[in-house]
Amino acid sequence: MISARFNRSFDALDQVFGFTRGFYEREGVPAEERLVFDFCVEEIFTNFVKYNRGASQDIELALERTGDRVQARLTDFDVEAFDITTAPPVDISLAAADREPGGLGLHLIRRLVDEVTYDYTNGQSRITVTKRLG
Amino acid sequence: MFEIRLGEKGEVICEGRLDAAQAAKAQAFLDALPAPDVVDMTKLEYISSAGLGVLLRTQKRLLQSGGGLRLKNASRHIRDIFRYSGFDRIFQIDDGT
Repeated sequence: MISARFNRSFDALDQVFGFTRGFYEREGVPAEERLVFDFCVEEIFTNFVKYNRGASQDIELALERTGDRVQARLTDFDVEAFDITTAPPVDISLAAADREPGGLGLHLIRRLVDEVTYDYTNGQSRITVTKRLG
Repeated sequence: MFEIRLGEKGEVICEGRLDAAQAAKAQAFLDALPAPDVVDMTKLEYISSAGLGVLLRTQKRLLQSGGGLRLKNASRHIRDIFRYSGFDRIFQIDDGT
């Protein structure tokens, strides 16, 4: 497993993606799966930035490959519990006029990976996504 | 890296990665166009929900005046994202084939 911490800002995404890219290259993660993991990492990271506003510490990203499974785990420190995995489902059948931007991140994560889990312990919010490759 | 510009035929060309850090740039570009119609995504590698929000806001604006965006040449991954988002119901999506 490798991990790093990133400034809680959208501007940190370039650094986040540089970190994931190095992991993908070392672990031989296929190109299509890289896009899926970058999507999940960005959505969770930006949710932490947007909704855990009182937090001041950097956000931790840990990546691990075990066999054909890749896991990304993001942790936000010293925050209130906020489980984005309980967000209500998005009605994707609505017409454009009735749709509002936002809310798609978790909906899409659920479609793209095999498992999404939330854990809150000692002031730490942790979301883990897991996907089998291939 | 993300770039958005107009092509020779007036189409909007998106290149690179449209993530949350780039969404404001894309929104400002599209908002400045009175009636964009085609968005060429041949070189768009990646889009996140922030980018989807840019497209949706633009589509809602254009539909009010009888227009609408046609999303052209998106990759398979991005077309999957559009389908899972229900965007295939609210945009014309052309894979170029």
